Amino acid sequence: MSGRSLHRQLLLWLLLPQAVLWGVAAFGAYRLASRHADELVDATLLQAARALARQIRPTASGLFVDLPRSAQDILAADPEDRVMYMVSSPPGQLLLGDARMPPPPGAPTLNEPVFFDATVPEPMRVVALDLRLSAAGAPEQALRVQVARSSKPRELLARRMLLDTALPLSLLIALMSMGVWAGIRRGLKPLAELQRQMEGRRADALDPIELQAAPPEVGALAGAVNELLGQVQHSLATQRRFISDAAHQLRTPLAGLKSQAELALEAATEPALRQRLQRVHESAVRGARLVSQLLVLARAEPEAVAAQGWDRVDCAALVRDVAAEQVPRALAAGCDLGVELPDEAVTVQGVELLLREALVNLVDNAVRYAGRGATITVRLRRAGDDVWMDVEDNGPGLAPELRERAFERFVRGAAHGEGCGLGLAIVREIAERHGGSAELLPAAPRGCLARLTLPAV
Amino acid sequence: MNLLLAEDDPVLADALQQQLLNAGFKVEWAENGAVAEYLLKKQDFDVAILDLGLPMVDGLTVLKRVRDAGRALPILVLTALDALEHRVAGLQAGADDYLTKPFDFPELEARLHALMRRGRPAGAAQQLRGLTLDRSARRASIAGEAVELSPREWTLLDLLVTERDRVVTKAQIAEAWGSEESAGGGALEVYIHRLRKKLEGSGLAVRTVRGLGYLLEATAAPA
Repeated sequence: MSGRSLHRQLLLWLLLPQAVLWGVAAFGAYRLASRHADELVDATLLQAARALARQIRPTASGLFVDLPRSAQDILAADPEDRVMYMVSSPPGQLLLGDARMPPPPGAPTLNEPVFFDATVPEPMRVVALDLRLSAAGAPEQALRVQVARSSKPRELLARRMLLDTALPLSLLIALMSMGVWAGIRRGLKPLAELQRQMEGRRADALDPIELQAAPPEVGALAGAVNELLGQVQHSLATQRRFISDAAHQLRTPLAGLKSQAELALEAATEPALRQRLQRVHESAVRGARLVSQLLVLARAEPEAVAAQGWDRVDCAALVRDVAAEQVPRALAAGCDLGVELPDEAVTVQGVELLLREALVNLVDNAVRYAGRGATITVRLRRAGDDVWMDVEDNGPGLAPELRERAFERFVRGAAHGEGCGLGLAIVREIAERHGGSAELLPAAPRGCLARLTLPAV
Repeated sequence: MNLLLAEDDPVLADALQQQLLNAGFKVEWAENGAVAEYLLKKQDFDVAILDLGLPMVDGLTVLKRVRDAGRALPILVLTALDALEHRVAGLQAGADDYLTKPFDFPELEARLHALMRRGRPAGAAQQLRGLTLDRSARRASIAGEAVELSPREWTLLDLLVTERDRVVTKAQIAEAWGSEESAGGGALEVYIHRLRKKLEGSGLAVRTVRGLGYLLEATAAPA
């Protein structure tokens, strides 16, 4: 199961509840603003209604309405702000004002104003006030004063109040989100660092992860990973040690087998027996060679290379030593082995033992496959930033399609011969361990040229 | 030539004993480290072959103890281990040479002879094919007939015979001559040319190894 990004989850769970809370707060603020606006409008309406009521005086013959200019002004107010009024007496029977005024819901209590919303035809806020007017010498009369005002200003007010609250709130949310985002990034940085360290790794890089000043949670994770890496490293080392030990252990019995076969060959006279003994001897030699190459391969493993001395290597001395050492073998095989060295000093950085092994393998290959009468030349050359160690022969050469395959393990150029197909694989392994390469090229006019390329220092 | 063979693997030891016997050695076999140590301290051997992985007392310890006891005989270490550190440890403990299993018997034989030559005081005469070298008199003869050699020619021949079947570099020759001048000049070629003429009929020939130096080898037809 692939979980969601920690980043996104944290952001979601930190910001979502906040956003909900902010929403609720905004809604509450709006409601509050509306109520305050209502109260304000209601107060104005009641004031207007009372002012209007005061202008009505009962007389003996009925009611006298004295609506002075000031009262009219109040009622006219704003042209946008529609105002309606109605005075009825007895309540319900139009005395003055607008007949469209809706009646209040239910019967209002005397002297208690009733506020309600109505649509006539636009939404309006209405106040209804029932009064009893009495004056000396006049009968008491029931009176209802109603004043209505468009709801629009009230809503505008509420909206403005809401806007005034919501705008700073939104800004705050935005700032908050940015803060939270930055905080999460900062908090998750050690994880990102861990990821970076793990991603850039080669499969064989098993050294522990190093995190600087990691928080305990990430530190524990890194620790667990390191422990695992350590275990893998340990089991790999155990396995390699086993291969190495086993190879070493195989050498003594193989040496015994080889020596016994040689002795038997000296004593045997019967041709058929001699032939079989020859085969036993060849097998012993091949087995011994394979074991040696396995050991070299084990030694060319990255950790093993790191454990060995990494030094400046004088290539001319190396070529001279290896060639001198191989001359007797080459002579026995009927090959003329020689070297060509440059006048200048040529050095590379590396493990001398391994480089020597690589070169020995190349010369050995040439001696094996070039055939009797061949000329083999080990040539050292500097080519730009590289050092070339070439082993050239004028033997039969190698088919182009086999040149690359020859570097695979256990592939052999010729169908016969003693080689066991690890030599060139070892050469390439060692070359690559040193930041170089190994290839087989055709030689002119015929033959094979094995080239070991290494970075010069 | 008395030789001690300390090797615990019976199959290998058996074959080696026979091969050494055929090569003219008188062989004493020790199958473990304790016996090897005892024999090396009690008897006089001309040379010893010591396996490092011996039971009872390991080869490296035997080597150290024998050297501590003041025994100076040449010892060739034979081992299945070949990593550099083992090699260094073996040589530091007092081994004179080091050979990794499995080996070619001629190579072992050549090394044993080289070790014994090194240990032997100059003076003994050496026979090689038709050539006889009398080192005390600095004289050489082929089939009984004396060969006239200049001091430089003698040194050159001595070196080539000592290192026979191995490459002798120009630098080695220059060192043997003790000359300040480089042996790379035409002079060396002249000496080699003369030596070749003088070695005719000895069953030995000086081969040029391109870019490296020279090598003394037996010619196909023995004299």
